[in-house]
Amino acid sequence: MDFSNIPILSIVTYIPLVGALAVVFLIPKEKTGTIKAFATFVAVLDFVVSLPLWWAFDRGKDGYQFVEKAEWIPSLGVSYQFGIDGISLVLILLTTLMGVIAIVCSYTAISDRQKEYYVLLLLLQTFMIGTFCCLDLFLFYVFWEVMLVPMYFLIGVWGGQRRLYAAIKFFLYTLAGSVLMLLGIIALYFYNTSGFLGYKGLGNPATFSIEKLTAVAQQMPPELQVWLFFAFFLGFAIKVPMFPFHTWLPDAHTEAPTAGSVILAAILLKMGTYGFVRFSLPMFPEAVRDRRVIAVMVALAIIGIVYGAMVTLVQKDMKRLIAYSSVSHLGFVMLGVFALNMSGMQGGILQMINHGISTGALFLLVGILYERRHTRMISEYGGLAKQMPVYATYFMIMVLSSMGLPLLNGFIGEFTILQGAFAKNFWWAFFAATGIVLGAAYLLWLYQRLFFGEITNPANAKLPDLTLREQLTLLPLVILALWIGLYPGPIFRVIRRPSEKIVQIVGGATAEAPALAEKTAAPGASGGGVAARP
Amino acid sequence: MTFAVKASDWALLSPEIFLSAAGLLLLAISVLIGKEREEFLGYLATLSVFVTGALVVFVALRPDRGMPILGGAFVVDNFALFFKALILLSLVLSILASVKFVGQAPYPGGEYYALLLFAGVGMLFMASGNNLISIYISLETMALASYVLAGYFKGEIKSTEAALKYFILGAFSSGVLLYGLSLVYGVTGTMGLPELAKKLAGAERSNLLMLGILLILAGLLFKIAAVPFHVWTPDVYEGSPTPVTAFFSVGPKVAAYAILARIYYVAFPKFHPDWGLIVALVSAATMILGNIAALLQTNVKRMLAYSSIANAGYALLGVLGFRTEWGLWGILIYLLAYTFMNFGAFTLVILLESRGYAGESVSDFNGLAQRNMPAAILMLIFLLSLAGLPPTAGFIGKYYLFAAAWKAGYVWLAVVAVAMSAVSLFYYFRIAAAMFFSEAAGAKVQSSYALTAVAAVCGLGTLLIGVLPQPFIAVLKSCVLSP
Amino acid sequence: MRHYIWLIPLVPLAGFLINGLLYLVSHRTKGQAAHGDEEDGHGEAHAVPPVAGSHDTVHGHAAHVHIPFKSVHTAVGVGSVGIACLLAFGAIFDIGLKAFAAGASHSETLYRWFSLGVNQAVGQVPGPLKEWVVDVAFRLDALSALMLAFVTFVGFLIHVYSVGYMGHEEGYGRYFAYLNLFMFAMLVLVLGANFLMLFVGWEGVGLCSYLLIGYYYERNYAADAGKKAFVVNRIGDFGFILGIFAVFSLFGTLDFEKVFGAAAADPSSYAPYMTLVCLLLFVGACGKSAQFPLYVWLPDAMAGPTPVSALIHAATMVTAGVYMVARCNVFFRLAPEAMMVVAVVGAFTALFAATIGVAQNDIKKVLAYSTVSQLGYMFLACGVGAFTEGMFHVTTHSFFKACLFLGSGSVIHALAGEQDIRRMGGLASKIPTTYRTFLIATLTISGVPFLAAFFSKDAIKAAVYHAEFAPIPWLPKVLYAVALFTAGLTAFYMFRLLALTFWGHFRGGTEAEKDIHESPKTMTIPLIVLAFLSVVSGYVGVPILEGGNKIGEFLKPLRMPIAGRQEAAHHAPISVELALMGAAVAVAAVGIYLAWSWYAKGEGRVPALLVQRWPGVYRAVENKYFVDEAYDKVFVRGLALGGGNLLWEVDATVVDLIPNGAAAVTKGFSWVASFFDQYVVDGLVNGLADTLAALCGVFRKAQTGRVQNYALVMGGGLFCLVAVYLLFR
Repeated sequence: MDFSNIPILSIVTYIPLVGALAVVFLIPKEKTGTIKAFATFVAVLDFVVSLPLWWAFDRGKDGYQFVEKAEWIPSLGVSYQFGIDGISLVLILLTTLMGVIAIVCSYTAISDRQKEYYVLLLLLQTFMIGTFCCLDLFLFYVFWEVMLVPMYFLIGVWGGQRRLYAAIKFFLYTLAGSVLMLLGIIALYFYNTSGFLGYKGLGNPATFSIEKLTAVAQQMPPELQVWLFFAFFLGFAIKVPMFPFHTWLPDAHTEAPTAGSVILAAILLKMGTYGFVRFSLPMFPEAVRDRRVIAVMVALAIIGIVYGAMVTLVQKDMKRLIAYSSVSHLGFVMLGVFALNMSGMQGGILQMINHGISTGALFLLVGILYERRHTRMISEYGGLAKQMPVYATYFMIMVLSSMGLPLLNGFIGEFTILQGAFAKNFWWAFFAATGIVLGAAYLLWLYQRLFFGEITNPANAKLPDLTLREQLTLLPLVILALWIGLYPGPIFRVIRRPSEKIVQIVGGATAEAPALAEKTAAPGASGGGVAARP
Repeated sequence: MTFAVKASDWALLSPEIFLSAAGLLLLAISVLIGKEREEFLGYLATLSVFVTGALVVFVALRPDRGMPILGGAFVVDNFALFFKALILLSLVLSILASVKFVGQAPYPGGEYYALLLFAGVGMLFMASGNNLISIYISLETMALASYVLAGYFKGEIKSTEAALKYFILGAFSSGVLLYGLSLVYGVTGTMGLPELAKKLAGAERSNLLMLGILLILAGLLFKIAAVPFHVWTPDVYEGSPTPVTAFFSVGPKVAAYAILARIYYVAFPKFHPDWGLIVALVSAATMILGNIAALLQTNVKRMLAYSSIANAGYALLGVLGFRTEWGLWGILIYLLAYTFMNFGAFTLVILLESRGYAGESVSDFNGLAQRNMPAAILMLIFLLSLAGLPPTAGFIGKYYLFAAAWKAGYVWLAVVAVAMSAVSLFYYFRIAAAMFFSEAAGAKVQSSYALTAVAAVCGLGTLLIGVLPQPFIAVLKSCVLSP
Repeated sequence: MRHYIWLIPLVPLAGFLINGLLYLVSHRTKGQAAHGDEEDGHGEAHAVPPVAGSHDTVHGHAAHVHIPFKSVHTAVGVGSVGIACLLAFGAIFDIGLKAFAAGASHSETLYRWFSLGVNQAVGQVPGPLKEWVVDVAFRLDALSALMLAFVTFVGFLIHVYSVGYMGHEEGYGRYFAYLNLFMFAMLVLVLGANFLMLFVGWEGVGLCSYLLIGYYYERNYAADAGKKAFVVNRIGDFGFILGIFAVFSLFGTLDFEKVFGAAAADPSSYAPYMTLVCLLLFVGACGKSAQFPLYVWLPDAMAGPTPVSALIHAATMVTAGVYMVARCNVFFRLAPEAMMVVAVVGAFTALFAATIGVAQNDIKKVLAYSTVSQLGYMFLACGVGAFTEGMFHVTTHSFFKACLFLGSGSVIHALAGEQDIRRMGGLASKIPTTYRTFLIATLTISGVPFLAAFFSKDAIKAAVYHAEFAPIPWLPKVLYAVALFTAGLTAFYMFRLLALTFWGHFRGGTEAEKDIHESPKTMTIPLIVLAFLSVVSGYVGVPILEGGNKIGEFLKPLRMPIAGRQEAAHHAPISVELALMGAAVAVAAVGIYLAWSWYAKGEGRVPALLVQRWPGVYRAVENKYFVDEAYDKVFVRGLALGGGNLLWEVDATVVDLIPNGAAAVTKGFSWVASFFDQYVVDGLVNGLADTLAALCGVFRKAQTGRVQNYALVMGGGLFCLVAVYLLFR
């Protein structure tokens, strides 16, 4: 397929927006059936339109593809610029798929103010895709910020009991993170043009093009890079969320409606990791190479893994449990990314997708149960396996994929990440791997408490098994999980080039320290070994 | 000083002249017609403002604009024209916003509109004031009119109190300003800003001169309600009739910024380092106190009062940026954005008002989403813009201001600014939460054509500047002063 | 044939899919049946906690549980494994035993699983290997051929057995689905051509073990046991996966051929890392093969159906650890310290478990601990470098232990769910077939001459005796002593079991006695076959006789020659060999005699006496030295849950302070600020205000002192401005 003359990315991005406007102006809010049908149609259409990208994308090519460029605010050097590389490609496809699922899973779950609900979902969809598409830092910031608004309302209007607190906490916390990023952007802008403070600028024409600014930022003096790294860091770290900035997540996840949790887990959290991969690493390699920075990042990642898992273990609320498990999983992603080698980088990126699939599915499943019983308390359930065998099966598959069982997606991600970490430092892999053990513990325990034992609570005795619609929302995710687990090659091929580029920039090859040599015998031995080789 | 009135002067001053005439005419007519047909006066006033606008355009098209008028007392350069346009905009918005409620009020509306127009005249002059004395005179013209407006509800203790406070404190600040002016004059022996610039270019700084400069600054800081000269704002905003408050929160501030910019950009650029730190401190204090104090306000008018204080603080970042053109750009575009979003917010308050001067509590917004969805969405847009979120005018304006501060080297101030704009989201979104999250309290909300028009214009402006800022920026950049 | 080895695992997988889907389809609609397996439950129901005497009514009688698609489930379940078995032997003979012995191997690559792109090998040895790839590949060589043979065959027998044993289970389809899935995983484990494939099977069998142990998921302890098994195994996998990372980082590949080839070709440069690698791998082996300290899951695993215990927890899965160590023998031989650890852990576990086995009263528990003990034997063999002997014992053990477990299943079947040997006895006459097969297997495991285990155990003991550990010369002798003593214990507790179960008179009460019946053919035939095998399978490894040690020849290629080392092939004089044999036989005889005289002849008076004499010792042994309780206290309640709760508190209080604290502080300031604006300004300067008010009448009209104070504030502010200027100019 040749999209050279079609603005395919813009089309993918704005189909939901147009759909939302259509709902607002054309469909009266009493016609809920029509609204659902139309919203679903729009989401499916968007997904279908986004699919060709997968085949049209040239895996062998460096840099961005399907690039669209237009003047937006020339006097600021801001341009409307879209374009994707492998990383954004997979995330966009995940987003469009999740968009459909989020809408379909809400048919019965949402009963009031449905028009607003579906409009907001569609808007959110546009903003998320836009964030992954845009190649202009200013534009990115616009999408990045405006994305918060629909999510805020989704949580605040259709959320649980403590929804107000959760909503404003989510909004303020993430916003507070990203405003510093704005200053970082301004600094970049001036460094590129006329300079600021002590730094004399490069005197280039004003621009926010991510490609250009990346090149510019790499020439910054190290100390400035470190400053800017942390200016961006907060925004991304809160979104990820990295320990100790994660406390908004359990509240938001727990209070949000099912679709909200799904989107939040599957896509919104990826914004943070995506930010690190797309901006922090390539823009500030000096900072990233800095041993102290690495130490901080990896430490936070590993603490996140273990800490998250430990806290997950004792949760009594299903959604909260899965939310905390996300902290642990995203810790893996960050560890992989900051291992700064191919294994870690690719693993981290793949794990973004995997987490989206597994945790998204788990939130769907929990939502399905919640819809039947209207409680999230684990203690309310038990013995469901007998009553809902199909549901139990789906749940088991997703639990296994989430705890990284081979032949399912989670394993590939965790394996490559830990491989990368190990190649860097034995102890990183060692401590991170404890997360795998704990993961098995909390997930199997959750499963046992939900499904095993006698049905003690009469309320569970008559629960109907999955409906066809519910299975339709889960099936794609199961298929994806199996596909990635059995044959991740295609995805690796897509993310290969961008990962290579990033690793080169941050000097992954040189940064690859002989971990075992540090650990075991004296370097003399290995040196001798090398010498001994013909 | 002596000067001859040139023919061109009349042409260039035509907007001010016409508006004054219109004001007088309005007074006369108001005597003739009764209370019931006062709406007509409102529309008349609107019309006259539009005509004035046309005249401004006519002036803008004249090749000889930018010539010093009345011996350099005034000058109608692009900068002045921009501010005139902005002032007329806020004027027409205020008038339209007032129609409904002046009708309800038990007081003759004629004088109300006339006073608005007179204040407008003063502001128009302020915009193009090019000479210390002329600036002062026009400032007072504006001020006196506003004092009376504040107390328009003679019967209401709150209103009269507000008026009295405004008057006394205003007088105090005018005194300070005048003293500053006289000091500067005493040191330099000249009044015209360009001449001042020339004179001071050579002069070394003397304490007397700097004191003068500081006092002028103080006087103007009062008009823009910056800490510590903000104390009057909450009471006066709360006490005055809401349309008047809306007008206060926009018009006079805009005009004051025009003066501030002109004086400090044209006349005193040399002493930037001296007043830089002070302005920085004032700006920081203003942003912090404004936002922080607004957090817990339950009275929307009071909240918006503090928010407008905070916004004054942001705009001061621009004043800091005067070293580079970023400062002026920042101020211009931010004031433009501010006019739309702030006035829009107040319009919604007016819309919800039960009685003409009733203080609005946040709870009055409860469930507005169900009661009047378009209104709720408009309000949301204004709030987003006030909080500086993209894609709205507020974001573009703030971007320029932050950039200006950064460029001027006040990084710490920029950090304070972004932090505070994050904080501001909290209280703005208390209103949003009330509108969308809580159950509908009270009946559906009907809106009058005039109000709808005002709100729509404001909303359109806010969004347009946010989404397609390029044309606006292009215009603004042609309006900057030349030091 | 050999080109279809990849089909061997895939056929059972297909079986799993068919059975699983059928089961779901037939149960999805099943709505309101909130009551369930309570009735058609099963003997294992009462396995783990000694809730003795609870009689399961249904099992035994032909219970009338309707099982949809039963015949299909049977056909698919058994058939798929049968096909796999045929394919396996086909492939093996296609290559030919001679060829294997000569080192032949055949590998099939299905597709490239993933490639990690350009990474550098750790420590630059053997220099940067650019593209790191992992293939989905299967490999058939001598070692895997041996495993493949008995895994598929025993697996098939046990499937057949299950048809009869599980015939009344409501979850029949689910059971066979799981069992097929297990066969798939186990075969991947055996046939995997690289470490990651091995790991896939490794985790897969772990999962199936979890599912099958928790087969009676409605019984909490069954679910608990399943979870325990999985989590403990995960702890082992934790080490295993780290080991794999180490291998990957060292060699840049995980392919067995390449890895071991490289290591053997260039020992000096890899040796320094091997100790760590081997220990990590061994942690994995400990988990899977239930070695101390990770053995705790295996006894609990008896909560699963008995055929499962036979297949997974005796014959196949638990030997995976031994297989893996044997597979990695090149590494281990490069790391003598690691070998020593393996040997010691193995010996200790063998003894430790045997002592516990002495005092257990649950028929399956005894067998479970004997399994742990035998596995210890195998590791002891590997530890002293006798990998082939270890594998030899793995093979014979798979036969006689499967026979024992299936026999015990037959007993439980006959006694309608009874598992407590104190309520058995005198069954010999009532279920003769079961008795005979059980007797044969018991004789075998006890090391009675010329039965299978006699040869395999003897080979191990001999190897241990002859082993040499440079650092600790006396260690081998100690290990030998332990091994010998353990052999005696084994003979003792096995015959104790036999005596209490089959000899004497029945102690289970009369009404239970009536129902005792021999099991159906589907169950007895496998028993007979296995009994036969546990007699003859030893003759592939006859010592002393020239060419008697066929299995040793067969597995020769396993011991890849390491560059610059000549294997110290010990040729001890025949006399020594015979002496060792004699010792073994003597010990076995003593054990058997004691058991017979105490439990058969003396009807348990002596043991009772001993218990009275040393009650503390007995309690400790009977309660398995309280290891499980300790683990539960320290690791589960203490570390995991305790730590988790603590951290959660921290999360809710300390960490959440970041946002909440910030919010609180800001609000505080906000209150102060507005308060200041409205009131303090008053209070501050009231006095002044009044005087001012007194001066000017105007102010009184305003009815407030505020205005002047505002003015005052502004004046103060102005003063500050000036001050700032004067200070900072």
